[in-house]
Amino acid sequence: MIKLQNVTKYYPSALGNQYIFKNLNFEIPSGHNIAILGSNGAGKSTLFRMLAGSEYPNKGKIITDLHLSWPVALTTGIHPQMSGAENARFIGTINGVADLDTYVQRVRKFAELGRKFDLPVNTYSSGMKPRLAFACSIGIDFDVYLIDEVTSVGDAKFRNKTRRALTQKSKNANVIMVSHEMDELRHFCDSAIVLHKGELTFYNDLEQGIAHYQAL
Amino acid sequence: MTTVLKRSNWAIWRDVIFALFVREIRTGFNDRLGLAWAIFQPLSFIFLLSFLRGKMDGGDTHTIPTFEFMMYGMLLIQLFLETLTNCAAAIKKNKSLFAFRQVQPISSVLASALFSLLIKLSVFALIFLIMYFLKMDFKLDDPLFILLNIVTLWMFALSLGLMFAIAQCYVPEISKIQSVLSRPMFFISAVFFSMQDVPKEYWPYLDWNPILHAIELTRHAAYNTYSTEAVSEFYLFFSALVALFFAASIYHISWKQAISR
Repeated sequence: MIKLQNVTKYYPSALGNQYIFKNLNFEIPSGHNIAILGSNGAGKSTLFRMLAGSEYPNKGKIITDLHLSWPVALTTGIHPQMSGAENARFIGTINGVADLDTYVQRVRKFAELGRKFDLPVNTYSSGMKPRLAFACSIGIDFDVYLIDEVTSVGDAKFRNKTRRALTQKSKNANVIMVSHEMDELRHFCDSAIVLHKGELTFYNDLEQGIAHYQAL
Repeated sequence: MTTVLKRSNWAIWRDVIFALFVREIRTGFNDRLGLAWAIFQPLSFIFLLSFLRGKMDGGDTHTIPTFEFMMYGMLLIQLFLETLTNCAAAIKKNKSLFAFRQVQPISSVLASALFSLLIKLSVFALIFLIMYFLKMDFKLDDPLFILLNIVTLWMFALSLGLMFAIAQCYVPEISKIQSVLSRPMFFISAVFFSMQDVPKEYWPYLDWNPILHAIELTRHAAYNTYSTEAVSEFYLFFSALVALFFAASIYHISWKQAISR
């Protein structure tokens, strides 16, 4: 269970503070694969980053005892001057992986970068970097994976592979997913949270959520 | 199956700072000159300055060999300036890493500071080694006090750097002010002169500066014959403590908002 307590979040701007959430109280139940639905600018990404601990609310708290991932396939944490292996090791150390060597081996196997895995990331093509990032996050066992449009990673073959890996993961773990592709959401999720005007609504049934979202 | 350790907060801190520190070492020296430059650059400066000053007073400066006199001045001011600049840039530089919940800005600042300290300590060690092999006479009357001064100055720089780093998250232009403010420090911190060269009535214009205290005290620690009439340990330690207190307080109340903008 992830508990949002009195969460207020705004971004300062030239037109005054832009409020995304005001005194939001909400509980995201465990044991569901949840799709987050909302129109552009509704605050999906903000909610996402706050859940991931990349950003913090201006007021209030987000409380959970679950082990949440960082936004999967986010490439910003990858250092361009370090090699793929060094990056994987860095991410493993930060996340407290017990056996780093095995972890790096698994990332190497999953990312399928061949010898490039030992070369600096700035020599990678644009498709290879997200592959590395995805392999790093899927290599760690989290309780909940936060997924932001992840299935657009890499070429068709790798995309299938990520899909399979995530489907496998979603048996033991849960996912919270943001996507505009309903087919994706239907594949991975069973319930939905609709985000509208700073309010969250939970729907136990995904189809019901999608229907409400499309009626907005 | 990847086992993820359940770690205490301290263990997470330690792991993160270690990982960032390794990353810093790995990427800090990426040009071809690399580490050699970090040693050669201050060394050439010390030689130049001691040569110029040595011409004037022939070998000794207020009972210290001129080479060592310049060495303590140069290395300490560089330690201060580099720690300050690296720490002040640390939050911005590693901003993308705060996407990982374990990485907090303070870890990034501490890793940068440790990196700067480590480099300067190695340069110190290397210069002493060179002096040993050149059979130059040198004395270390009070080595512990030298270390204490170095660490105190480092803490002072770290605290100032942390404050600048946080201020930069709110007002990016602060970095320009910081470089304008830090530039004259080289000239007013007794790097290439001693307070004994300055007439007493002008001391108040210079001795507000804790870096000057650190440099003069370190020279005194190496050669007890060197006078410390103008400076005091208490002032140095107290400034570092006050700076640390304010930096820690400012950090504590503002770090979450600073990275959430």
